[in-house]
Amino acid sequence: MTDAAAIHDHFRERGFIVDEAFATALQIMLALEKPLLVEGPAGVGKTESAKVLADVLGTELIRLQCYEGLDAMAALYEWNYPRQMLHARLSETDGSSLEEREAYMFSERFLLKRPLLDAITRDRPPVLLIDEVDRADEAFEAFLLEVLGEWQVTIPELGTIRAAHKPHIILTSNRTRELSDALRRRCLFVWLPYPSLAQEIEILHARVPDLSDRIAQQIARIMEVLRGLPLRKTPGVAESLDWAMALMSMHRDRLDASTLAQTLACVVKVHEDHAVIREHQAALAPILGEAATGLDPGGYGLGTDFGVGSVSAPRG
Amino acid sequence: MYPFGTFPENLAAFADALRRDHGFRVGPGELRDAAHAIDVIDLSDEQAVRHALRPILSSTLADTLAFDQAFTTFFFPGPAGVRQDRMASTRRERGPGAEGREADAAAASHAPHPDDVSVERNAGGGPMTPSESTDDAVEEASLFAPSTYSPLEADNIEAPELPRVARAWRDAARVLVRRVQVGVTRRWQPAARGRRFDFRRTLRASLQTGGEALTARWLHRPRRTPRFVVLVDGSRSMGDDARRALQIAVAMASVTMRIEVFTFSTALRRVTHDVRRAAAGEWRCLNGLEHAWAGGTSIGGCLRDFLRRFGERTVGRDTVIMIASDGLDVGEPETLRDAMRELHRRSASVVWLNPLIESLRYEPTASGMRAARPFIDTFVSVNDVAAFARLARVVRVRAGA
Repeated sequence: MTDAAAIHDHFRERGFIVDEAFATALQIMLALEKPLLVEGPAGVGKTESAKVLADVLGTELIRLQCYEGLDAMAALYEWNYPRQMLHARLSETDGSSLEEREAYMFSERFLLKRPLLDAITRDRPPVLLIDEVDRADEAFEAFLLEVLGEWQVTIPELGTIRAAHKPHIILTSNRTRELSDALRRRCLFVWLPYPSLAQEIEILHARVPDLSDRIAQQIARIMEVLRGLPLRKTPGVAESLDWAMALMSMHRDRLDASTLAQTLACVVKVHEDHAVIREHQAALAPILGEAATGLDPGGYGLGTDFGVGSVSAPRG
Repeated sequence: MYPFGTFPENLAAFADALRRDHGFRVGPGELRDAAHAIDVIDLSDEQAVRHALRPILSSTLADTLAFDQAFTTFFFPGPAGVRQDRMASTRRERGPGAEGREADAAAASHAPHPDDVSVERNAGGGPMTPSESTDDAVEEASLFAPSTYSPLEADNIEAPELPRVARAWRDAARVLVRRVQVGVTRRWQPAARGRRFDFRRTLRASLQTGGEALTARWLHRPRRTPRFVVLVDGSRSMGDDARRALQIAVAMASVTMRIEVFTFSTALRRVTHDVRRAAAGEWRCLNGLEHAWAGGTSIGGCLRDFLRRFGERTVGRDTVIMIASDGLDVGEPETLRDAMRELHRRSASVVWLNPLIESLRYEPTASGMRAARPFIDTFVSVNDVAAFARLARVVRVRAGA
């Protein structure tokens, strides 16, 4: 697990295709023991990469899903209040002093570990996935800095807990807001783009083993065109895979215009995008093959003038 | 490959070049990490060095895009032609999609800027064309494509100066920022009176009273701090009003950090950084605005461009959008209507500052203004500081935002 090629192979065995840049970033992250911030469009496998990494390293994955309003308590620890209450009641008459009772009530027995605390107190370093960190607010980000920078957590009642081992941290962001420079500086940064044509074909084959080469080619080429269009919701790799599965279940050996119209829902998730694709359907014609003369009017989305007298010249 | 003798020297010089020429934030920490990283990779493999240094030295998408070019320039300073050719061919190899996008660009419909999905797919490691790799690539690149046409050709105009703002303007801005209420956050915070029982603090307090929870503690949800986006129409028809709009932007930037400022004319340009510096009291000129100042007006196109490039990051349910424009649009009203509908849908409030309202018997009859009007929550003119101070009272924020 020390060089990029090995990482690439290990990931590939698990059906995840990483390019050289990303594999090297993972290698550096493991070597430097620094968190890796992964940004990129939705559906390119940011979250998946952390899961696969945990599998490759043979360690556990601890996931912290960020959301608006996530606070330190929910991410770090919480006291088991009902148990504390009960204990307070039961120990009322046992004659122990207030100090003793307090020390006992705020001991690790009553501590509920949340993902961050869990991750730094494990016996062997887990992979900690801090997912969609951009959804949490700035206050949480500031709190995260303490953990990422110092590898220690302060619990007022217990004192400071130091990390036994540094976990391998992957943070993901969808860029719904800008992350602070301070957070960025503590992380390595990698941008995970949509895969290239060849990569996407490789991914399709790796994840959907029985898929015919022809359909894989067609899906990847159509995806490439779609991602160049000004869509509201650009399809990611997850959509390609869904689509491939759908086509497999329909026992199609090739993708033609009517099949496209029937299954476009796997890929296009916003109503307005159908109109955009209709406008640019000429770009899809060569991929679907010459037989593409007229789309199934029953299928929703694409219009029926497709290919009728307006088939564009093949793209040069 | 390496201009200096030892690798640490090369690395330090490279980091220096990144800082100087591309505005990277590379400190000693990054350098140390980089030195550590090159221990674990094969130094003779150019790609490996590239891939290893990129995650360490860059920290944003813009950095990532600029990195490859900077790396090439620094380590392979030879005649540019050789590598440029290689880049061009690599770009072509990316298949028909790439050329389709270039064709799109030529039609000036959708600019291939680095913030755009079409280029994002290159960003992982593929070489970039030089134009995309400049430092401010993310902000500037859109100028390359749309600027090939301009509804009204711009003359040579001197760069607008960002005004210093008087105290009265800042006070008015402060009132505005405080008055705007965009709902509550999802976070719970201790409060004297609140909607949720605070187990933790109640229990803790009970220790003072022998385990008897005498005083209940509460949590409430604090108010959300609004975000602002100010879009200043810098077209010639705006004249001095554009400078006044910039004054508002600077005044607001001096009282809140949660603000983004853009200028547009026939192209859009992000000027947040300059405005923040001006707000901090620095003398600032808006250089290099080109088609984002003193040209014709393509409001719809620019707003659409704004949404595509910055919308995701800057517009949310806590965002107040302020557009300062006279609404004299030469583009398609349809484009403006779509963009305004989208802005309205995604923001907490859309404020349109139109200097023409003050004119006697002004009716928003310009086709652009008519298209935009249904999606404007607050339609006013702000021609002086008194009017700006009044703005805080008239801004309407939609319920449920």
